[in-house]
Amino acid sequence: MVKKYTARAPLTPAVLHILLALSTGERHGYGIMKQVEADSQGKVKMGPGTLYGSIGRMMEAGLIRESDKRVDPEMDDERRIYYKLTGAGQAALEAELGRYRDVVAVAEGRLAYGQ
Amino acid sequence: MASDVAVRRYRAWYAMLLRLYPRPFRERFGGGMAQSFHDLCLEHRNANRGLFGFVLWVFFETSVGVIVENTAHRSQLSRTMLRAALVALGLLMVPLVASRMTPGWNWPPRAFVLVYVLFFGTALAYGLIARKMGAWTYKAGVGVALVAGFALGWSTMVQTADSGHPERLWYLSVLVVGFIGACLARVKAPGLAVTLFAMAATLALIAVILPSGAPPDMAGRMAIGHGVFVVLFLASGLMFRHASLARLK
Repeated sequence: MVKKYTARAPLTPAVLHILLALSTGERHGYGIMKQVEADSQGKVKMGPGTLYGSIGRMMEAGLIRESDKRVDPEMDDERRIYYKLTGAGQAALEAELGRYRDVVAVAEGRLAYGQ
Repeated sequence: MASDVAVRRYRAWYAMLLRLYPRPFRERFGGGMAQSFHDLCLEHRNANRGLFGFVLWVFFETSVGVIVENTAHRSQLSRTMLRAALVALGLLMVPLVASRMTPGWNWPPRAFVLVYVLFFGTALAYGLIARKMGAWTYKAGVGVALVAGFALGWSTMVQTADSGHPERLWYLSVLVVGFIGACLARVKAPGLAVTLFAMAATLALIAVILPSGAPPDMAGRMAIGHGVFVVLFLASGLMFRHASLARLK
């Protein structure tokens, strides 16, 4: 079943990491995996099964799409498929980061009272 | 350090594992998954990190994905069938209601069953084929081709029954060309574009060669009808061509 992602619905960790990896530009599958690993300082390692399962659901939900152009055909294998964020994907990422900011603000407030 | 032979062997095993994914998923992402696995293997080998443990982890992780996608695919298939059944039921209401209101329209019950089966088959074919590709031009091409094919098949059957000219069944060869072409193309956009152009050419050829046996005024209307179908098939073919070119860019 295709999960409907909206600006209000929280994202799964895998989806959030993929959106974050694509927020700086178009990437192919291996590139996304390496970016996720770098973004999480090596704490999150995403395998092909998780990555492409998430990509399929995110494409059906309209969060990402295949890119029409290849980033650098001279330097890269042209068979690779690049993915890019859509407007809905960008909005979902911003909404999720806003939620994280709110949670951190509440947590910091409570910790400050506790001290 | 693991050799190239080991990497190639792991990749071959991984390709076998990928065959357990549902076909639509495998056709869409199988190449990318195999490529990513290969890249990861090379990275581990070049960094002199344990390749065997990594491969075991990826095989386990991908096996979980196989189970998840197969479960999702089955429920998606049942939903597509349910939607097709409901759409066919809605469409069936048109002749059902019309037959009650139009004098002389006396279809036997088996005719309604046949019409329902045709509507259901067309709607199901659209549901199953259109999800193969996300591009709107592909989906529109499938829709136009199926509607035009359905209308051509339907009008051929009705006109053959009404006129008593069995040679008009030759028009069904256009649908045969479409079916064979779609199977050979495995419903991929480039092959479907060629198939739809072939259907348009076949229809135009039959329209020119086959004597209509109709009076001049009727023959004129038939020529317009043929032209409309040819244009629809060509339009559908162009949409598939657009989808395949967009995919290549």
